[in-house]
Amino acid sequence: MSGSRDAAVAPEAAGAGESEASDAGESLTNDLGEPETDDATAAELSDAAAAEPTETPTDREHRREVATDRWLGIAGAALSLVGLGVLVRQSSLVLAGAVGVGYAVYARAGEAPTATLAVTRSVSDAAPEPGDEVRVTVRAENVGERALPDLRLVDGVPPGLAVVDGPARVATALRPGTAVTFEYTVRGARGDHDWEPLTAITRDAAGARERVSDLDAPTAIACTPELSAGGDLPLRGLTTVHHGRVSTDVGGAGVEFHATREYRRGDPLKRVDWNRRARTGELSTVELREERSATVVLLVDARESAYVAADPDAETAVEASVAAAGQAFSALLDGGDRVGVAALSPLDCWLAPGSGTVHAARGRETLATDPALAPTPSDERFYRSLWLRRFRRRLPADAQVLFFTPLVDDTAATLARRIDAHGHLVTVLSPDPTATGTAGERLVALERRQRLRTLRSAGIRALEWGDDSFPVAVAAATRRWSR
Amino acid sequence: MTDDDALVDFHEADARPPTAAVVASLAAAGVASTAGAVAGPAGGALLGVAALAFLVGSFRRSSRVLGWGAAVGVGGLALAGYRGAPAEALLVAAVGLTVAWDIADHGVGLGEQVGRGARVRRNVAVHAGASLLVGALAAALVYGVTLAVGGGQPVAALALLLAGGIALISALR
Repeated sequence: MSGSRDAAVAPEAAGAGESEASDAGESLTNDLGEPETDDATAAELSDAAAAEPTETPTDREHRREVATDRWLGIAGAALSLVGLGVLVRQSSLVLAGAVGVGYAVYARAGEAPTATLAVTRSVSDAAPEPGDEVRVTVRAENVGERALPDLRLVDGVPPGLAVVDGPARVATALRPGTAVTFEYTVRGARGDHDWEPLTAITRDAAGARERVSDLDAPTAIACTPELSAGGDLPLRGLTTVHHGRVSTDVGGAGVEFHATREYRRGDPLKRVDWNRRARTGELSTVELREERSATVVLLVDARESAYVAADPDAETAVEASVAAAGQAFSALLDGGDRVGVAALSPLDCWLAPGSGTVHAARGRETLATDPALAPTPSDERFYRSLWLRRFRRRLPADAQVLFFTPLVDDTAATLARRIDAHGHLVTVLSPDPTATGTAGERLVALERRQRLRTLRSAGIRALEWGDDSFPVAVAAATRRWSR
Repeated sequence: MTDDDALVDFHEADARPPTAAVVASLAAAGVASTAGAVAGPAGGALLGVAALAFLVGSFRRSSRVLGWGAAVGVGGLALAGYRGAPAEALLVAAVGLTVAWDIADHGVGLGEQVGRGARVRRNVAVHAGASLLVGALAAALVYGVTLAVGGGQPVAALALLLAGGIALISALR
């Protein structure tokens, strides 16, 4: 069913007299008058190619047929007019009542036709960038035997995509063999998006009976953002044994001064503190902070409660978290740390810490399209203790956790403290979704600030960012953090 | 509708009936009121009230208001007929009233299901055309039959003729 855009629109030119296509210009090459021969054959070929699949109706799932009860009472009204006419001996009233009886018959005569439609849906770009506008064209042809006097089509736009132009709906009437085309624009958002079935509602001419069916026309777009490396993210002192970038409290080789100790045999000569030797005659060795790499797991809060935003149009805290996690992911990977991804979500999402270019690609894929991090919440239930048990089992012993959460409920704060208590040092990174318009909004903001304060007093690093970008907030916070 | 409309997804919010349906309904209601005024001033006034109710019902997206409007209109027809209105004017008023209600109610349904922003002209035109056609055919039929049997028949005979017609139709179905 998913012919190319050209092929999908081609029969439109042939049946243009019947069709209700709003912009015939979309038919591209095929209706530019009479081109030269090879173009014409190409058009015919694409016509033939398109005509083949459009003969078969799209799979449909019949949902229900109901009486709309619109005309309820028309027969009663008509007959009471007739009765009154008889009583008062006015023939004109009987005639008017007879017209009403005619309508009553009309209302009972019809039957909601079945929507035998061939539906094709094409998108202008199957792999858009986030924020790109994607033009969606839906064409439905009546391939049945009967006319559809009243057809309403409502397209199943994926819940994560916002329609920005032209409703994804149309109402029309189709004779057999004619088609309707409608277009709308959606704005790309991060993730994999599958279209839901097109809903077709048919009514008989009088509108007395209605039939609802779902027409399955699978379409999908995948929107994978590029990961841009954010600023330098300060990590906490839980490290692996491998050399890296995180300064530790372990003395050894390094750059920054750590301590001096007694000379032991075998210490390198260049680390001997010769000034001290000259002053006091004792041999001592300078210890420098060892720089090691860390294992980091980026944990994104994607429970239903985290899908919050300051206003209905703004991006949700989950979006902000995922974007920040993407920046942290590439920054940490560039710094030589091992990075993994997990989601605090009813759906399972786990990318074990790793490094290398393949891992970078896998991380980008996970952050962009994992269902657990989808732009709209899942319907599943979240079980906190089950999730925590599984998470702890997977977490490497030397891993620290960067926890991205809007902190709008106590569960997130409790989990952060529990993970931290299990020895995996936690840094909470919190996008601020609160507003200050009403008293309720201010209360929520206050509660959230209190949660941040509690976390900080429990020794957990916490950083929040609102309107300013994530790297700016990190740079500002780093100055006040000790190692 | 409030200022919030600009914030939310536009077509989801705008469930008002499409303009085409409201305009067509008002035109039909206007015809009905005019014919009613010709038939009798009191009946015409009630039909005017019905037209107003159709407008209000369209804006409030309420089929119930439309139904009450239609009931008032039927009352207007009855009043005009009782006062001895000519059959022609009463037939036109009856067809106009039914078509006006039908389109207004259809428009409310369309507003619910596809919204005001969608393309609906063809749909409304087909629905209105069918409704008008049925009314015109029914009116022409009953008027033709009355002319054919001659004006002087008693009213009861007409009613019996109608009953016979109904029995015939239900037997044929």
